[in-house]
Amino acid sequence: MSSPSQPDPRFEKAKLGDDELLVAHEKALGPKPDERARYRLAPLMMLFAMAGVILFAATYLNRYSGRFDRSVYDETALPNAGGAAEAKVDPAVAGKRLFGTPGACVTCHQATGEGIPGVYPPLAGSEWATGSEERVIRIVLFGLKGPVRVRGTDFPGTAAMPAFGASGFAWSDEKIAAVLTYVRQEWGNKAAAVTPQQVHKIRQSVGERKEWTQDELLTVK
Amino acid sequence: MTTAPIQAGPTSGEWDAPAGAGAAGAPGRGPLLFLIGSALVWLVVSGVFALIASIQLHTPGFLSDCPILTHGRVRVLQETAFVYGWLGTAGPALAVWILGRLSGSPLRGTSWLGVGAAFWNAGLALGLVGIAIGDGTGTALFGLPAYVHPVMLASYAAIAIAGVLAWTGRRRGPMFAAQWYAAAALFLFPWLFSAADIMLVLAPVRGVLQAVVAGWFAQGLWTLWMAPLALAGAYYVVPRLTGKTLPNYDAASLGFWCLVFVGGWTGGRHLIGGPVPAWISTLAVVTTAMLVFHYVVVALNLRPALGAGSVLRFIAFGVGSYVLGGFVDAVTAARSVAVSTQFTTFDQAQQQLALYGGVSMLLYGTLYFAIPRIAGRAWSSADLLRGHFALAATGIALLVVSLGAAGLSQGRDLADPSVSFAAMATHMQVWLLVATGAQAILLLGNLLLAVNFLETAVLKPGSGEGVAS
Repeated sequence: MSSPSQPDPRFEKAKLGDDELLVAHEKALGPKPDERARYRLAPLMMLFAMAGVILFAATYLNRYSGRFDRSVYDETALPNAGGAAEAKVDPAVAGKRLFGTPGACVTCHQATGEGIPGVYPPLAGSEWATGSEERVIRIVLFGLKGPVRVRGTDFPGTAAMPAFGASGFAWSDEKIAAVLTYVRQEWGNKAAAVTPQQVHKIRQSVGERKEWTQDELLTVK
Repeated sequence: MTTAPIQAGPTSGEWDAPAGAGAAGAPGRGPLLFLIGSALVWLVVSGVFALIASIQLHTPGFLSDCPILTHGRVRVLQETAFVYGWLGTAGPALAVWILGRLSGSPLRGTSWLGVGAAFWNAGLALGLVGIAIGDGTGTALFGLPAYVHPVMLASYAAIAIAGVLAWTGRRRGPMFAAQWYAAAALFLFPWLFSAADIMLVLAPVRGVLQAVVAGWFAQGLWTLWMAPLALAGAYYVVPRLTGKTLPNYDAASLGFWCLVFVGGWTGGRHLIGGPVPAWISTLAVVTTAMLVFHYVVVALNLRPALGAGSVLRFIAFGVGSYVLGGFVDAVTAARSVAVSTQFTTFDQAQQQLALYGGVSMLLYGTLYFAIPRIAGRAWSSADLLRGHFALAATGIALLVVSLGAAGLSQGRDLADPSVSFAAMATHMQVWLLVATGAQAILLLGNLLLAVNFLETAVLKPGSGEGVAS
């Protein structure tokens, strides 16, 4: 089957021994005699090919890497430019969720905003809730203690309102603004919305303190 | 062909090369033949699983009542037996042998080689049973159950000792390309496998990071382990059989370092369009393109393989597939192409082109060169060898073309919401039938190799079969 010129496939004789192979290839790496003073084309072409590949790689990487930002999932977007834009939150929706958080507002003031007669004051139609932003923000940030008069009824102050701005809940300016906006526009209340900037200003100017009393708040305009 | 009985002595020429793995009873002969023989058993086993899995793609009812042989498990069994059983057993054995030959001294650490070979095969057998009963990890190319991972790592280390000793104890300082690739492959597998073991099994990372690690491992196992194993053989056999220095050999080291540095970054291309930060896929697209440089260098260096000779024909086919596969990878990594080829059988076509057409064919060629020199006896049949080449070449071509065509049809149909799933399956049916035929042809070809090996290295026909030098 095999022609005489073909080596026998059952055992093809090696034409180069192990040691000859090592020596020959070591020599191939050494300096070559430059007899005809000519450039060798292959290394030059390979250099150009490699440079071309690196150019492509760098360009592509620059354009589609999303600046290596871990939040960019679309290769054509840049961080915080279109693809990674922050979603806008509706304060009324966020406020309702915060109001209903277990242990927060709803626990005492109830989902109806009517509170519990004689113990927890109402929010619906409350002159405190719909009145000056300066006072209501202070109440939510730092809490309220002692007797308080709401809708013409005196509450003895057996239960204190905790602070939502600091330890425990530690709500951000955005969260406090959202929950206050909700309270001031629900159950027939029609007061202006509260902005995070207003909350921020009061938080900065008051600093740290304990719960307010009614008399202290009344000095705030 | 000269016929003379082999004499185990210093004058018997080719058999007794300095590595000492030639003459009967020389160090390393038994363990090496055991490793290669067991690799061929796993090759045939994986061929049977491949046939079952392929039939199930067009005849879903086939063996579906048997939980052990449902498609999900058979696919993993086939992949594991092929990658760890065939490529991962024959590859390191040949790498150790090549490092031994080029070291200029007889192999050392051969009892470790034997112990490692025994435990590697035992671990693999246990692992395949584990996969069949549903203990697999479910990660691509990493399907072995968690409890055999330590056995695989330890036994691999035992096998590699002989290679590392031959490499560090070599007589000549400067190394040849085959030594770079063989030594790199021996060292890179434990790193890949143990890193994947820690990050996916022992202390699993959470969320999408798992997909990133799995993609890195699957691609790394191929680029940094299987490809170097196969290239070590090709770089060794081609100059020895042609008798000439490799052309453009001065670029070989660039090709090697390109593979080692860039190859590990290409895994993210399997995650294109997935829920991972964009830069991971982008980096993979870029590095897959840069890897083209490696393929060009390999093609330039190994082009003399196109010369005559039955053994070199395997290598030439392997180099061709390897380089073609590299270019196809670079094209399909582009995002616009990936959207229609990903998650289709086109992915499988690429994998078969790389693992069967590339790595396997290169290992076949190295095997046909090495076995007579390890066993000290010529192959018992030239016709089986030629038949194996014809069947393997036909089978691989048919398999890759049919899976590729089925994948393109699938990709087109998947992108069109008006095409029903049943219609999609009907469109692919013909190509999947061809793929099953291709798997049968490949299995037959591998059986020819196994029979030839059995007659040559195990059954030991009478004297007079040996060829001295």
